[in-house]
Amino acid sequence: MTTTVMSANEVETTYFRRASRWKLIVIVLAVALTLTIILSLNVGFAQIPFSTVLNIIAKRMPFLGNLVDSSNVSYVEETIIIQIRMPRILAGALVGAALAAAGVVYQGIFKNPMADPYVLGVSSGAAVGASLAIVLGIGFTLLGVSTVPILAFAGSLIAVFVVYNISRIGSRVPVTTLLLSGIAVSIFLSAIVAVLQVIAGERLHIIVFWLMGGFSYVEWKDVLAILPLICLGTMVIYFYARDLNILALGEETAQHLGVDVEKVKKLLLIFGSLVTAAAVSVSGLIGFVGLIIPHMTRIVIGPDHRILLPTSIIVGATFLVICDAVARMIVSPVELPVGVITALSGGPFLIYLLRKKKESYAI
Amino acid sequence: MCIVVNTKYVVYVTTIIVIILIISAVYVYIYDQGQIADMRSMIRGLQSDVANLQIELYKYRNLTLVDDRGYVLNLTSYPNRIVSLAPSNTEILFAIGAGDKVVGVTDYCNYPYNFSAWIEADNLTSVGNYWTPNIEAIVALEPDLILAAFAQEEVVNTLRGMGYKVLVLDPGNIDDVLKDIVLVGRATDRNIEAAVLVNNLRRRIDAVVSKVAGATSTPKVYYEVWYDPLWSVGSESWEHELIEKAGGINVFADQSLKYFETGSEAIIERNPDIMIFPLGHGAGPPFWGSFDQMKARPGWDAISAVQNDRLYTIDADVINRPGPRIVDALETLAQVIHPELF
Repeated sequence: MTTTVMSANEVETTYFRRASRWKLIVIVLAVALTLTIILSLNVGFAQIPFSTVLNIIAKRMPFLGNLVDSSNVSYVEETIIIQIRMPRILAGALVGAALAAAGVVYQGIFKNPMADPYVLGVSSGAAVGASLAIVLGIGFTLLGVSTVPILAFAGSLIAVFVVYNISRIGSRVPVTTLLLSGIAVSIFLSAIVAVLQVIAGERLHIIVFWLMGGFSYVEWKDVLAILPLICLGTMVIYFYARDLNILALGEETAQHLGVDVEKVKKLLLIFGSLVTAAAVSVSGLIGFVGLIIPHMTRIVIGPDHRILLPTSIIVGATFLVICDAVARMIVSPVELPVGVITALSGGPFLIYLLRKKKESYAI
Repeated sequence: MCIVVNTKYVVYVTTIIVIILIISAVYVYIYDQGQIADMRSMIRGLQSDVANLQIELYKYRNLTLVDDRGYVLNLTSYPNRIVSLAPSNTEILFAIGAGDKVVGVTDYCNYPYNFSAWIEADNLTSVGNYWTPNIEAIVALEPDLILAAFAQEEVVNTLRGMGYKVLVLDPGNIDDVLKDIVLVGRATDRNIEAAVLVNNLRRRIDAVVSKVAGATSTPKVYYEVWYDPLWSVGSESWEHELIEKAGGINVFADQSLKYFETGSEAIIERNPDIMIFPLGHGAGPPFWGSFDQMKARPGWDAISAVQNDRLYTIDADVINRPGPRIVDALETLAQVIHPELF
């Protein structure tokens, strides 16, 4: 029987080699995301030459601004790029990042491949909030802000709070109970949405389109509202990546290894729900991203959360930006709901990856 | 030589001269006064002209419009590039002669011209469909006025946030439709055309109302918005108003809603004398089946309208759009409900 024991030196080299490989992966993906964002600025109904797009962006940069000649850029072109395409693309990136991060967290905590950001009832809570705002139609604005995202955000957090408290036994929150109460509350809330849809009458269409999700009417203020929430949330989640790795060994083992399982779980659930709620409040319900992106990256990169989380976040952002670009390009000027594109493209790609990976796959 | 002057003559001549002088002085005085008065009135006229022009100019600079949502819009100049986000808005714009200012319409706009052909020929731009208009397409048209309609709050909020001028036309009844026509007329400098159109429409409405006033019966009417599930109209809808104005009774007048889901049972129980089905956009007999198939819906043989074969279709575009053609719908309904009067 031979066992290979690595010397301290060898361990160190392996660690640094791996760390530098991870760094490379993240940098390459981040560059890819940036390129995707710049390229997708080029996609839309209005035909704006790529040079003009670059010109408009460069004009706003601190040093490049003085160098470029922007005299041939029209006001309309600038409005379209800066006021319409930029916010929606950035919102797409943020929402994709948030959903992917939450997906990784939930799949990690529940050790369940079916878990996605909506498993705790975030989506149905948001749907009830948004439908309520649409049905009541409270002038549609409250203090200058649209009521739909606010009520959607509130609804999703209330739903998660209820699910959490249903499954809480003392200070413990068993994942099976959490999963099941999440499903139960979701079903209940979906029924309420159905009732609201019937009551909505001629406003039914607005609810239907909201439920399908999309970025058609995203404004800068929406982006600025979710930016801090999603950045903070994903940063906190990343801080606990190591604990997620240990949790994968089982809660009991993790406890023995010195992880305060209940505290970590609680924090991850709170911040996972927070980023999902922020994402959903702006975009509506976009399916599959939070489910598929973590699986895709896990198949390619491996299950270590320290690299899985950042890559999933960047891949999720890139994926949603591309999907949104396709959604507004494919039958222009009509825009398809972005959820349709995520499902159409993400589903087959995941199947391809699953088939290609011959060995069995587990979280 | 001594000229003897008869003093008597001197007095005569002097008197005559003085009289002539006085008369001419009076004449000159009166004439001048007249001239002055004329000039004064001319000046007054000019002054009032200037005042009127100033008012016009003021109106031109500060045209304050209030849309159906109570939103106040100030126009500083009349629009030259209008985008219509609803077929009804397009119909109003073309009906009052502002069609030449329209640069963008929806895919659903098909009246009074075949706009899809115009779009094909690049004479007009489509901004997408009614429910999710493409904001980029709207902005690319550089509109100076956008006419939106109901259920477009999201796009309206976004456009207003970007500084675009948007009016929302969301009339609740026929009177509101007429008011909206006047509003669009003011916004587009087509006041007279709008007034003429509204006058004409009012006359036609009055003609229908006075004609059906002489009817001996008021048939019960069922209006089917949708089949599977069955949807009909309540008292808040303009279909209800049209039916009542056309001399019928909406069988669901007791429902204080616009549109609502109902069932065969309720319809059979209300037993309408006439059934009306809007036709077009995936609704109506060709889509749900023939009239025979409708009559064969379970239990419907008990309904008076089915027994007497009084099922009718109406062009969905005409009755569903809150534009000038709403009066066409009224006339059609009146002829359907009271064929004996026409």
